[in-house]
Amino acid sequence: MLSKGIVKKYAVGGAVAAIFYVEPILTYDLDVFFEPSEGNDGLLALSSVYDHLKRKGYKVEKEHIIVEGIPVQFLPIYNDLVEEAVDNAARLKYRDTTVNVLTQEYLIAIMIQTARPKDKERIVKFLDEGNFDETQLEKILEKHDLKTAFGMFRRLK
Amino acid sequence: MKPDAARWDEVQKIFKAKEQFHKDRARLPIEEKIKILVELQNLAIDIPTASKKKRFKMVWEI
Repeated sequence: MLSKGIVKKYAVGGAVAAIFYVEPILTYDLDVFFEPSEGNDGLLALSSVYDHLKRKGYKVEKEHIIVEGIPVQFLPIYNDLVEEAVDNAARLKYRDTTVNVLTQEYLIAIMIQTARPKDKERIVKFLDEGNFDETQLEKILEKHDLKTAFGMFRRLK
Repeated sequence: MKPDAARWDEVQKIFKAKEQFHKDRARLPIEEKIKILVELQNLAIDIPTASKKKRFKMVWEI
């Protein structure tokens, strides 16, 4: 989709990205953040991706599209933090493929921002098991005004 | 019950071992972790959740 110009950039996020860094956690889908190509904003952003994959024979199940046996959820980049996270994604290997995956520091920042119960659980895992760069995380949190939220979370932990 | 220092030491050792177990799993290669994830999906797929929201679930076919 990159080479065909359907998406400009992408990175794996959510639980699957987390699994690259911490102990496996239960999830059923793979989240992919992406920037649509020019002129494909709003609803068109998703439909261009889904239409392309449907043409390739992949089936849609609710909000997912089943790609090679994995339910994938495509999420257009929705704010500055996520955009920056995608721009700074790590290039990691899975089997013989190199994939763009959000870094630990950006994953933590996004989880602090979204702050759903499952995000809070996952942040604890990163604090216990991850080996993220504290200085890098501080910079991201400062820039996106998330330092206080993270500080409160750390104290509670 | 009075606090039992010997038991507390034992419990601390168990907690430490558990912590280490999770840290070791965090260091596994991603391919191994995805295998574990699929095992987790197989185990959890039929367990009903408290959430009222019907979530799409399927075990990955990889």
